[in-house]
This record gives sequence, structure tokens and C-alpha cells, in this order.
Amino acid sequence: MKLPVQSSNPDVGFQIAPMIDVVFVILVFFMALAAQIKIEQILQTKLPGISVSSTATEFVDEQILQIDDYGEVTLNDEAYDSVDSRDLPMLTGTLVRLKGSSDASNSKVVVTLISHPDSPYYRTIDVLNALAVAGITNVTFTADTEL
Amino acid sequence: MAGGGGGGDGEPEFQIAPMIDVLLVLLIFFMSIATTAVSRYDPTVNLPVAPDANKKEDSENELVFNVHWNPKDLVAVTTFEETQYLEIAPLLPILSARKKALPDSRILIRSDGETPVSYVNDIVELAARAGLDDITFATLAR
Repeated sequence: MKLPVQSSNPDVGFQIAPMIDVVFVILVFFMALAAQIKIEQILQTKLPGISVSSTATEFVDEQILQIDDYGEVTLNDEAYDSVDSRDLPMLTGTLVRLKGSSDASNSKVVVTLISHPDSPYYRTIDVLNALAVAGITNVTFTADTEL
Repeated sequence: MAGGGGGGDGEPEFQIAPMIDVLLVLLIFFMSIATTAVSRYDPTVNLPVAPDANKKEDSENELVFNVHWNPKDLVAVTTFEETQYLEIAPLLPILSARKKALPDSRILIRSDGETPVSYVNDIVELAARAGLDDITFATLAR
């Protein structure tokens, strides 16, 4: 059998099949990775600062929100929603109405959030979420050891 | 998988296809490493859920605090710029310097949901003392 004589410089040519194989491997890699990606969101707050002004200070409408160590939320000493409620619908509705009335009277709503030091952080986030729905971003944070 | 043929006289020829394969494997390797590379965002932090939170627009001028709660030891470890702290008071001059250098600096707190809020309040208090009033809390949508 006569063997084919190979030239010293064979023309390899562009191999498309391995390229497609590698592209599919990369595709599968990113498909598997995408399932694990968690998209983060943020709750923005602004700490009330100290303003030095020679003009009259604007009137602020301060509200006191408290979270005890069990996760119960009170607004101005009135309890809202159960401890198990993560959505806090009653509190959210009240905060929305408060914001609406403050806007109508051209006053600023400032919320002081007093949390028991042992209360879980996720409860604070639930309250901040309710504040975000109401559009309230001026929040002061305090840890109260007397709760 | 077809590849290029060798020279008839035994001398190896330059094989472009395996070269590209190796390069792409290296590319995938470094891409996978980069996702878990030294990062400001600790992926082990279990963020709480806030369905009505805002979408994160940018990460400029962020000072990221990661708070990881250890339920066995009942202690939280705060990580700032890849350094772990049990007490964050020594960070006050650093934060003050950052605020002075970049007035638009803001704090991003990424904490486990089960962490006692006192640890988060300590960070907020530290930020307030450093003059930083823009505080954001990282959450998950669901």
C-alpha cells in the first residue's frame, strides 16, 4: 500500500469544530454560574445632620420607632403588626399616611429607630423596607438598653 | 477532534488549535478565580430580604462593612477592606480621613440577618462620628 507523502508544510487550515466545542464549554460554565448569582439591592438612609443656619429652622415631624428583643415594632408606643409579620402592612400604611400629611404641610419626617441591642438585624431591615415604601429616608439609629 | 498534521520529516509544526484550547482553558480558570477573588463583598454573608429596596446603581466611593454572625460563639466579626475587626473603634480615623479625601463617600453595611442589631448600630454610630451621613444597607430582593 502506497502511503501518502506528507508535505513539509501542510496547510492546517482553520479548525472550526474545536472552536465550537470550547465556546459551548464556556457557555455551559456561565449558565451554571448565573444560577448562583444573587442580585443585591440597597436601602438608603440619611442620618439627620447638624445644620448651622442664621435663618429659622424648618419644622420636622419626628416619629419614634422601637423594636424590642422579640422583634415587636411600635410606632410612638403603639404596637403594629405581629412579630411574625415580615411585610408589616399596618406599619407601612401608617407611615405612608404620615409621609403624605407631612408633605402636605411642607414639613420633613424624621424617624428615630430605637432597637433593642439583641433584636435581630433582619427586623430592622423589615422596618427600613416599610420606611422605603413610605419614602422616608431620614432615619436616626439608636440602641436602647432600657427596652 | 481534528487537529493539524505534523511535518513529514519529524519536525514538529506549530499547532494553533491546541494553543487556542489551552488559552481558553486558562481564560476560564482565571475568570472563575476572579469571581471569588479578594473582594469587598463577602459572599458568605446571608443578607436579609427587603422586597421594596432600591436597585443598586453604582459602587463608587463605597466603604463596605461586612458583618458575619457566628451563632456558635455568639459573636459577630466585622470585615472592612479585607481586615477583620472585633472592635471597630480603631476605624474612626480611617473613616474620617476617607470622608475628608472623598466628601461623597458613603457607608454600605452588609450584615447577616440574624446578627444582633447592636453591631450594626455600632457601625452607624462610627460613621456618624466620622461625618458620614449616607448609610446604605445591602439586602436581597427575594
